[in-house]
Order: sequence, then C-alpha cells, then structure tokens
Amino acid sequence: VTDVRHVGRSYRTQPFLVTEESIRQFMSAIGDTAADASIAPPTFGMVYGFDAYWQLWQDPEVGLDVGHLVHGEQSFSLERPVRAGDRITTTGEITGISRRGALELVTFECQSIDQDDHPVGQATCLFIIRPA
Amino acid sequence: MSSMTASATFESVEVGDRLPEMKKEVTREQITAYAEASGDHNPIHLDEEFARSVGLPGVIAHGMLTMAFLGQLVADWAGRRQQVRRLQARFAGMVLPGDTVTCTAEVVKKDSSSKRVTLNLGAVNQRGEKVITKALAEVEF
Repeated sequence: VTDVRHVGRSYRTQPFLVTEESIRQFMSAIGDTAADASIAPPTFGMVYGFDAYWQLWQDPEVGLDVGHLVHGEQSFSLERPVRAGDRITTTGEITGISRRGALELVTFECQSIDQDDHPVGQATCLFIIRPA
Repeated sequence: MSSMTASATFESVEVGDRLPEMKKEVTREQITAYAEASGDHNPIHLDEEFARSVGLPGVIAHGMLTMAFLGQLVADWAGRRQQVRRLQARFAGMVLPGDTVTCTAEVVKKDSSSKRVTLNLGAVNQRGEKVITKALAEVEF
C-alpha cells in the first residue's frame, strides 16, 4: 500500500531534445503516415515526459507495485505546439493517493517547460494499482 | 483518413458532426515499436510470461498507444497537428495483440469566441467492447 505521505513528491527529467527523428519514430510506431514530422503529435508528451514517470515507478521509497500498475486515465493540454528543436524539461508531482475498493489510485501531474523556461503543457495521469 | 481529405474549417464544423472512423489492428510488433518510441518498456507490454504472472491474459498494448490513435484521428481531421490543444481519455479495457480498435469522434461543442471545437472520442475493440471512455479533444481553429 502506497503511503499518502508521498503526496507532494516530485521528479524532474533531464532536458529532452525533440528531433524530427524522434517524432518520426513515434509516428511510425502508431501508424501515422502524415508527411509532417516537424510538429509533435498530441500524445508526444508521454515521450518527453516519460523519465518523470519512470523515476516515480522506480522510486524505492514510494515502492509502487509496477507489475500491478495500469494506466487509468490520461490528459494532455498544450500551451503551444511542440516542435523539433525544442528542449523540454518536465516535472511530475504525486498529487493524490487514494483507494477505491481493492484498487489504489495514484494521481501524477506533469508540467513541461521549454528551453526558455516558458510553459509548454501539462499532463495528468491516473495510475491504478490492482491488488497483487 | 488520407492526407488528400480536405481539412475541417471552423465555419464548416457543426455540432453533431461525426468524423470518419479510424480502424487500427494492433500487433505485437507495433506494441514493441511503441515501447521503443515512448521509452515505456514495462514488461506487461513485452514479456508474455511476466504479463501472465501478474494476472493478465498476456501482453497488453500501452493505453497510450490507443490514445495516440485518437490524437491522430483528430489531428488528421483538423488538418494540422498543432491544432489539438487538449486530449483526455479513460482506459476502460485492455487491448491485446490481434485486436482491432475502432476510433470514433463527434463534435459536441463549438465556441465562436475561442474558435475552439470540442469532440467526444471513443474506441471499441472488434467485439464492440469499449477500450476508451470519457475521452475528449479540444481543437483550435
């Protein structure tokens, strides 16, 4: 069981350099055949922000049961388009830990900024941890 | 939708408009490619034995892969990817290799002052079971 005292804990990624290659690789994976790889697809925030999620999953003090973790909900909102050449840093914070029956719910909110420290977008994620 | 399709314009969009459906067959190779592209190598997506050991029927697709399909559907319709300003989804069911996901979208709101259009989104598998619910997108024109 995840301790509610971990609410407020946060993780910051290294700056992620968005490249046309990384956008094209993502598009290829999802089967998007559009010609333009200069602008990131709407869910690309999972790519540049991923290391924040990864740090949360790996944090031994929080001790999330990653094998039983499923993605419950996700939202992205963008302040501006993300383009190849952007260098994006994301900070993710645990903003909620609660229970619903046998399930444990962990809310993780991410804020991303660009190379000039201007906001790029937000993402909110709800993780569900199933009973072992 | 192909790139030949004319893009939507704010003037032409009406509440109640339904976008053409997008169908995607999800393969093991695609799940692996998504793991590579996103960095998410959680073994529930990649390792059959591990997935079974934690009570799953086998490897499952990343929920984010299905959500990416919805992003593509909306961006293709809008014409330019950067018009998609908001996207949210609830992952209601597992997607397994071999499943075919059908993505749908319907215009539910058109706001003239912000020139934003809101769409309700959905995704079902080949048995008609919902794999995504409570999903929406906001598109700026």
